[in-house]
Amino acid sequence: MEEKFEPKIVAFLCKWCSSAGSDLAGVSRMKYPPNVVPITVMCSGSISPNYILSAFKDGADGVLVSGCHPGDCHYIKGNYYARRRIALVKELLEFIGIESERFQMSWVSAAEGAKYTEIIKDFVKELEPLGPQNKLRSNL
Amino acid sequence: MVKLDDIKKECKSIMEEGKVKYIIGYRKKNNFYMSVPAFIEKIEEIDQLIWAPSCVYNLVRFLRDEKIRKERQKTPDTRPIGVVVKGCDSRAINVLLQERFIKREDVYIIGVACEKSGVIDEKKLGKKFSEKNIEQIEFGKDNNFIITTEKGKTTISAEEILAERCIECNNNTPVIYDVLLGEKVERSLSEHFKSLEKLESISTEEKWNFWKKELDKCIRCYACRSVCPMCYCDECIADSISLAVKPDTTAEEKAQKIRWVEKSPVSSENFSYHLIRALHLAGRCIDCGECERVCPVDIPLRYLNKKMEKEASEQFGYTAGLDPEKPALVSDFKDDDPQDFII
Repeated sequence: MEEKFEPKIVAFLCKWCSSAGSDLAGVSRMKYPPNVVPITVMCSGSISPNYILSAFKDGADGVLVSGCHPGDCHYIKGNYYARRRIALVKELLEFIGIESERFQMSWVSAAEGAKYTEIIKDFVKELEPLGPQNKLRSNL
Repeated sequence: MVKLDDIKKECKSIMEEGKVKYIIGYRKKNNFYMSVPAFIEKIEEIDQLIWAPSCVYNLVRFLRDEKIRKERQKTPDTRPIGVVVKGCDSRAINVLLQERFIKREDVYIIGVACEKSGVIDEKKLGKKFSEKNIEQIEFGKDNNFIITTEKGKTTISAEEILAERCIECNNNTPVIYDVLLGEKVERSLSEHFKSLEKLESISTEEKWNFWKKELDKCIRCYACRSVCPMCYCDECIADSISLAVKPDTTAEEKAQKIRWVEKSPVSSENFSYHLIRALHLAGRCIDCGECERVCPVDIPLRYLNKKMEKEASEQFGYTAGLDPEKPALVSDFKDDDPQDFII
């Protein structure tokens, strides 16, 4: 029997909003696919493009970057910097031929557990038809 | 067109006044049409200087070497360095000033306007004149180049052998200078981001196949990094030598040191290296095209940087190297930066 493809998602969540949002989803017993590996970072602005590339290199099928809504950043303006930088990374990845669905960014606040589950559900749904990500996977 | 005599005259006068330590310019290589960088330390050497379509190099690169040399000297000569710059190169100086890497008083900028011309692309030239021995290339009248081969002189329209970056350039006049030679002329031979159109319009799979084919060739000689005026970090992320090894550092710690890019020239590592390089140059690359010129395996590296330049300009209204007082692209934001891509 052929196994169904289960995409692996690496999610970089900021400590103050998105990570708390995913916790809320957990403690509220909301259901969402178990395909996601959450990594808590201090701020979405601290996410270097290297994190994203190395996630893809180590076999992630999709990468999610999530931070506070504009204006809500714990460090006042970290998410504004992230917004610019991630926009550039996204454009560059699309330019070299990585499917745009594989890399996404979202704003999730600490109260938006439901939104977080929706984002993950949609993300998994979008990744399933694409199949495994082998383009940037390390071939060392 | 800028007269060579003007450049020589200017160099002579600043040299006589003792304003500069030395001047970096271009000179002709023996029996060969390409120019090479010239380091003029004495007034007698000024006659070596040339100004021709073969002056492709970005001499701003040497300011980095000079800075390192100066830091190592006990009593350095603090006079500025004279440097001959084209429009694109002058923006590189602006970026270095913006990043506080060099000081304005460290450099005496001799700006040379390209006017309606530019520099050649050696590959295009090689294709046109494959069997003849080219001895010299000069600027001619009406945007033509005069090429002297062993068989005589030929006049060729500049657009045929002009480098692609020059065709798209809209900074033909230096933006920062102590003395400007040549005239400020408006020109636009082609739309600014025209060369990207083809690569942007193809499908995702075709894009991937194109870049896979190109980047798989990379042998990781780091020539692109060595020649880039912006790549001045003491330690590059691609080298992974930055682990402080103490007597009690265990083998395991050394082994588990994060390496963002491995040294092996395999596909995934080449992609990491070139993507990181493109992102580090976002908002800094001034499109001097040196990385592509020096690449021994002809990877069209310029497109990666050009793509970042395009996004910076279209999404954030930012152009590198125009104003050294403004904040850099990624260390600044606007409240209304585009965020349609964010869920």
